Amino acid sequence: MTPVLELRGVSRRYAIRKGWFARPAELLAARDVSLDVRRGEVLAIVGETGSGKTTLGRMILGLTEPSAGEIRLDGKPLASVGRRSRSRRIQPVFQDPYSSLNPRQTIGQIIAMPLHVHRIGAAGERQRAVRQMMERVGLSPALVHSYPSQLSGGQRQRVAIARALVGQPEILVCDEPTSALDVSVQGQILNLLKDLQQSLNLTYVFITHDLAVVEYLADRVAVMYLGRIVELGTTRAMMTAPRHPYTQALLGSVLTPEPGLGLPDLHLGRGFPDPLNPPPGCPFHPRCPSATDVCRERAPDVTPTDAGFVTCHVQPAQTPTECDVSERRLVC
Amino acid sequence: MSSAAPPLLRVDGLSVDIAVPAGTLHAVTDAGFDVRPGETLCVVGESGCGKTMTSLALMRLLPRAARIAAGRVAFEGRDLLDLLDAEMADLRGNRLAMIFQDPMTSLNPVFTIGAQLEEVYRRHRAAGAREARERAEYLLQRIGIMSPGLRLRQFPHQLSGGLRQRMMIAMALMCSPSLIIADEPTTALDVTVQVQILRLLAELQREFGMALILITHNLGVVARIADKVAVMYGGRIVEAGQAADIFRRPAHPYTQALLDCVPAPGRSKADGRLGSIPGRVPSLIGEVRGCMFRNRCTYARSTCAADDIPLRADARGHTARCVLEAVP
Repeated sequence: MTPVLELRGVSRRYAIRKGWFARPAELLAARDVSLDVRRGEVLAIVGETGSGKTTLGRMILGLTEPSAGEIRLDGKPLASVGRRSRSRRIQPVFQDPYSSLNPRQTIGQIIAMPLHVHRIGAAGERQRAVRQMMERVGLSPALVHSYPSQLSGGQRQRVAIARALVGQPEILVCDEPTSALDVSVQGQILNLLKDLQQSLNLTYVFITHDLAVVEYLADRVAVMYLGRIVELGTTRAMMTAPRHPYTQALLGSVLTPEPGLGLPDLHLGRGFPDPLNPPPGCPFHPRCPSATDVCRERAPDVTPTDAGFVTCHVQPAQTPTECDVSERRLVC
Repeated sequence: MSSAAPPLLRVDGLSVDIAVPAGTLHAVTDAGFDVRPGETLCVVGESGCGKTMTSLALMRLLPRAARIAAGRVAFEGRDLLDLLDAEMADLRGNRLAMIFQDPMTSLNPVFTIGAQLEEVYRRHRAAGAREARERAEYLLQRIGIMSPGLRLRQFPHQLSGGLRQRMMIAMALMCSPSLIIADEPTTALDVTVQVQILRLLAELQREFGMALILITHNLGVVARIADKVAVMYGGRIVEAGQAADIFRRPAHPYTQALLDCVPAPGRSKADGRLGSIPGRVPSLIGEVRGCMFRNRCTYARSTCAADDIPLRADARGHTARCVLEAVP
């Protein structure tokens, strides 16, 4: 499969002002990220707040320019593709359906916007396309004249998905599309996203912190920590045999609703690294249960694995946690 | 747990009304539960089910538009709803403390962490500055914070989300309360940090013998730390009981549907679909009657609209408010 998106050594720097006269500090939100996104796959990007996963998504959408490195769309540099044709092919679905829809526009106007921007079809055809898309995402066409404030969270997220898909893009960048929704609604939206991906053969870059969602939806997973991808592999490999201690900790943190198991002991240190002043060596070493001297001194190289890579000196066998999540419940 | 001990907190028939332009919103209706010393009660439900209003009512920190319409809240032998404001202020932060969801908005940005932690201790213990500082440093050490002296001199914005949440926990612990109410204390945090904070809370709870009311929508968290669970929907407690009973034999269709929704590795259904509950939460404005879940319930029938939905209870104290004899 040819990659539809290629990221080569992509970094993004931000200057953080610390005071009027102080020199601005440098925050590397993404650091030397290299990654291929294949046509028709769901690639999940997992990581904690501040790991750079949203920055990476914004760079793919063209909303943020990389400070270094290159992103290629079908082999062509994204920077040379042009905003209009880029947004025709890559569309976002954001986390919060309360702030990502214009409250003064009707649902019909919101969904039709990409058609206006890209001058697709005449007025009648646009209306038809909007109605078709509304039905496709499970919105009653009767809502076409409603305003976002009249809709529930799940319905709003359906509007956001309809807006993203109405112009028939190839790639969707979904940034935590269900984390603002109630549990009872999350399932509907994830089922919908999965159906649409399969029936329209879409490519998803799916940003999330929820590994349960990853297992349901993703073909491959990239795990980010402090701006770097620390491990990349197939969902199956990552769920059954993660090699980076951080991936192992993430997996160990999944709390399934089974009473009596107690809370897992992740054996993680509590020294949270400052992104403005990342630790030397491996960025994860202050929290890593397996850290050695070499981890404290030298950043690990990229080691290829069966279906991806891992950046870790130690690559410990998965340490069984107190209530061992990996063995008891993962059915992959 | 210690089921023989008398309850530390006993809530009976608690109702909270909120005045809204369209009329009266019945945020909480006839809620009742008890918590024994050292016990963990989890109150579960989706947004708008009344769980936060319940906890604010217990602390007597309801917003101005809300009022307690009925009920009794017995805590350490006194009815909190009868106390004068000054008496309540003596208890708050002292015998019962609250950890709020968002540590960024519940810490004051213009005071140092130290000033905010020490204020609680000085207010309730009439302690001097040095004594309060020592107590704060001790607690910060206990919750695993390196260089507590430095942290106490910092302002909230200088700390990460995980650290701020730890500070909130430390603040709640300053006077060794007998009950802590934590409203979604880990929702804003990352999963690895969430597990670490919950372990810390459980450890401190054991050590200091505190009772904990944890308000959350995360059933995974509930299953792992709760002794007892109360499930709320539409402002009412629809099911309550021991955690193991609730998860193994959910007795209310809502609890059952909610459990089906939780995506977890290896728990997707056989057809590879995730569960969800159709429809939306009913409005709580105006007169509300019958089972609030009936318009989304698979098993709904005409009797569900009646006023007197029976409360079924088994010998283990597992209760559910539903017209069905048993959930199929």
